[in-house]
Amino acid sequence: MSEGLAKGVGVARAHHFESVAQQREATTLGIWAWLITELLLFSALFLVALILRIQHPEATVAAARHLKFWIGAANTVVLICSSLTMSMAIEFSRMGWQRAMVRAMLATAALGTLFLVLKGYEYYADWDEHMMPFLSSRPFALEETPAARLFVNLYYVATMLHAVHLFTGITLLLGMTWMAAKAGFLSRHQNWIEIYGLYWHFIDLVWILAFPILYVVNRGT
Amino acid sequence: MRTPLSTLTPADRAQLKQRMRKPVLTFLALLALLAVNVTLGATLPFAHVWAIELGVVALMAATILLVSMEVIEEPPLIRLFSGLGFFWVCIMVGMTLTDYLGR
Repeated sequence: MSEGLAKGVGVARAHHFESVAQQREATTLGIWAWLITELLLFSALFLVALILRIQHPEATVAAARHLKFWIGAANTVVLICSSLTMSMAIEFSRMGWQRAMVRAMLATAALGTLFLVLKGYEYYADWDEHMMPFLSSRPFALEETPAARLFVNLYYVATMLHAVHLFTGITLLLGMTWMAAKAGFLSRHQNWIEIYGLYWHFIDLVWILAFPILYVVNRGT
Repeated sequence: MRTPLSTLTPADRAQLKQRMRKPVLTFLALLALLAVNVTLGATLPFAHVWAIELGVVALMAATILLVSMEVIEEPPLIRLFSGLGFFWVCIMVGMTLTDYLGR
């Protein structure tokens, strides 16, 4: 959305667009086309989790109860906070408050990093409890329920894929923050912040789906 | 370009309050919905609690899509694109579960 931009804030029109409005709509459409492919990728993984629950309910519940529920919940809070700071960065960019925008972007990157640190600790705790069935050197804690291995492996694929997206997002965000701190950025590239914001909110959305589907729903029998 | 936050005029403060209202309310709504799901997940108060948990997740996802990602304010073509993405997901989930649940 481009309404409510402060004076001096806007987008420099590229020559192949007829107008700035067309350019804005094209870039938003472009990021959505990509986000849809990402949505289908993660949805397929979540669908497999539901199928595992239908096919192997006892094994899935046993595996899910080994997941670190409270770390997952804390990480969800962290990502919701990062969504707030990203939304604030977008609003600051529309208002032309460049310094506040840069600070909000740095806060978003810091919260994303905190998520990865907590996730890393969670993986360490899983390793310590022999909950990494793909490691031949450490016997799997749920060896007596072989189907639990399927759910735990899926958990690692889904959460590591999400973590890769988050790491990429933090890297891009820091690069863009460096560019956005320069004079004149908001008069030429304000929509970059909005486009990037869609990606960050999408990462948040994926975790909002992953946490209940992997951690919460499977705790109950 | 503006502005250190410590030197805000009353007009700036009013603008800031107006602009931040939606993000803050969205943030509070998401936290409240998460609290519901975490409480249900931690206490497991009754059988089939998963149905309520999935309903709460759907509300959270809709809030992020419509408000945080501003789909509701986008032009029709972009609304159609984002909606189609979820339509494909519904087809994939629906057809697959029809098979597994119908066996």
